[in-house]
Amino acid sequence: MLRKTVGLMMIILILLWSSTVWSKVYIDINAPGFQKYPIAITDFKNIGTTDDRENLSVWFSYQLSHYLKLTGFFNIINKGAFLEDPEQAGITIEGVNFSDWSSIGADFLVKGGFDSDAKALSAEFRIFDVVEGRLIVGKRYEDTMEKRKLMVLKFIDEILLALTGERGVFDTRIAFVAKDRDVSEIYTINFDGTSLIKRTRLESLTMFPQWSPDGKQIFFTSYLNGNPDAYIMNLATKRVREVTSFRGLNMASSWSPDGSKLLLVLSRDGNEEIYVKDTGNGRLRRLTNNPAIDVSPTWSPDGSMIAFVSNRSGSPQIFTMDSDGRGVSRLTYEGSYNTSPSWSPRGKRIAYEGATNGRFQIFSIDDDGGNFVQLTFERGGGESPSWSPGGMYITFVSAIGGKKKICIINSNGLNLRVMGSPGGSFSLDSPSWSPRLKLY
Amino acid sequence: MKRNVWIVGSLAIVCAFVFMFAAGCAKTPVVKEEVALQEGESVIATAETAPAKVEEMVQPKEEAKKVVEDTSMKEKELWEQLLAEASNFKNKDIYFAFDRYDLNAKSRDNLTKVADWLLMHTEFEVTIEGHCDERGTTEYNLALGERRAEAAKAFIVNLGVDIGKVSTISYGEELPVDPAHNEAAWSKNRRDHFLVYPSKK
Repeated sequence: MLRKTVGLMMIILILLWSSTVWSKVYIDINAPGFQKYPIAITDFKNIGTTDDRENLSVWFSYQLSHYLKLTGFFNIINKGAFLEDPEQAGITIEGVNFSDWSSIGADFLVKGGFDSDAKALSAEFRIFDVVEGRLIVGKRYEDTMEKRKLMVLKFIDEILLALTGERGVFDTRIAFVAKDRDVSEIYTINFDGTSLIKRTRLESLTMFPQWSPDGKQIFFTSYLNGNPDAYIMNLATKRVREVTSFRGLNMASSWSPDGSKLLLVLSRDGNEEIYVKDTGNGRLRRLTNNPAIDVSPTWSPDGSMIAFVSNRSGSPQIFTMDSDGRGVSRLTYEGSYNTSPSWSPRGKRIAYEGATNGRFQIFSIDDDGGNFVQLTFERGGGESPSWSPGGMYITFVSAIGGKKKICIINSNGLNLRVMGSPGGSFSLDSPSWSPRLKLY
Repeated sequence: MKRNVWIVGSLAIVCAFVFMFAAGCAKTPVVKEEVALQEGESVIATAETAPAKVEEMVQPKEEAKKVVEDTSMKEKELWEQLLAEASNFKNKDIYFAFDRYDLNAKSRDNLTKVADWLLMHTEFEVTIEGHCDERGTTEYNLALGERRAEAAKAFIVNLGVDIGKVSTISYGEELPVDPAHNEAAWSKNRRDHFLVYPSKK
């Protein structure tokens, strides 16, 4: 009892502390009506003594614009509209005339300067609230020239943390399956659309990639040995090991948040049932016992609950249950086909795909069945949602130009971005968002 | 409504058994001719083998060695024919409605033929592949494909086919016959596909 009280007080203290440091969260990224914020980014000032031979002045503003645009929360104001005289203006609050920026419609302003020689680089970044005329956050980074992109990404994390309460997800990847005729392999692509990497070469049908919570392994299903069996691949060594190969289906479904358990669907007992497998002792435990189809189990972020799909009520619908299989309760009632649940890392919300007017689209709903919202209205539909760390984005597949592609939207459904593909003949599916990785 | 389905289903099973009984009582060549006629292509082959058999019967005994050669030739031809018949089941897919795995009258008809053939040719076995159209989740479709394959398996096992000679595999929505994105393609893709092949000894 005493322990509980102390724990609670600690949490309150941390909350107070963080709220004074970050003052306020500007953007409620989950609000359905959220509009992108207009932001101005000036060219950076050379505050050193060496000539700007690399044209870093434009490089910094270009990179900041590029990555801030990718976040989906900002509209970048065209430099042609700027009123400020760059020669006269400074990069600190004293050198900013906020009316120059409010009159062109900017809500936020980013300024910065750099000092570089051949190898070393120091750069400072500041973001201002134009409306309130104050500095939100400023940072100075010192490193080598090669690390300059890292500096940009780190400052973008600072901006997002201050404005949304969450860091960016430039340190994450999306794993997915790319199929060409009767062969499908697992690929990954970085959030910023770079580093498209082929991860498997199994020359088979390969499906349902799922990241381990440490981002080092991928749990998946493959017909490698003729039957849909479950495997785990170590991304660094590329070693693939078998998890289960029972008669019938062995569907890789989800990794528990603490990494100690795997959720699978096995049909070894004659029909599809949900199982949990301990990664340590290998023990297998059945969680469902129903003659209906039970598939797609996924853990809540605290590991206490499982959402899954069952057609036990006649059509496929989303259900939730406790992690031991008890307390099954139906979650979705709208529409006759709701599948593929994904639990937001923030808890509370579950994204899924549902049929509406003959198409599948992405929806989200509270884990108690409230606040049902349709997120996508794409002509090519929407399937297989997966949340980003922090819950700011959702990745899913949509048929664009006749082939399924990986797409990203903000969690409120806005700002669709289509990711690259290994080639025009490939159909992409089953995107799975990685945890935060050490990419920079 | 549900009761009607049961009655129709039971009737179909009874009919199937009656058919099997009739087939079992009649002479084998008659049934074979029927199969050949249904397949269409093998009619000529059957017509050719029939008179050859008559000639064999009247072969003088001194030419026994030649006869052995002949019969082994005939056996080989017969075997080739069986393989062709087995392979022809690849063109006998059965189809399903969206998100359903119940067998319609046409499917049950088709499955009865598969079962009859397997009952007569016990040296063969079957793998039933369950497939779905592209709509819906890949996971759910993999399960649905399995249900479709299992439904066909249960039907032919009920007709007496040895359960050990029937295996199933689901490919979900992964291997469409028609990759187009319209109902015409989807209805072709929601299917069970039959691979009939000699049992490995």
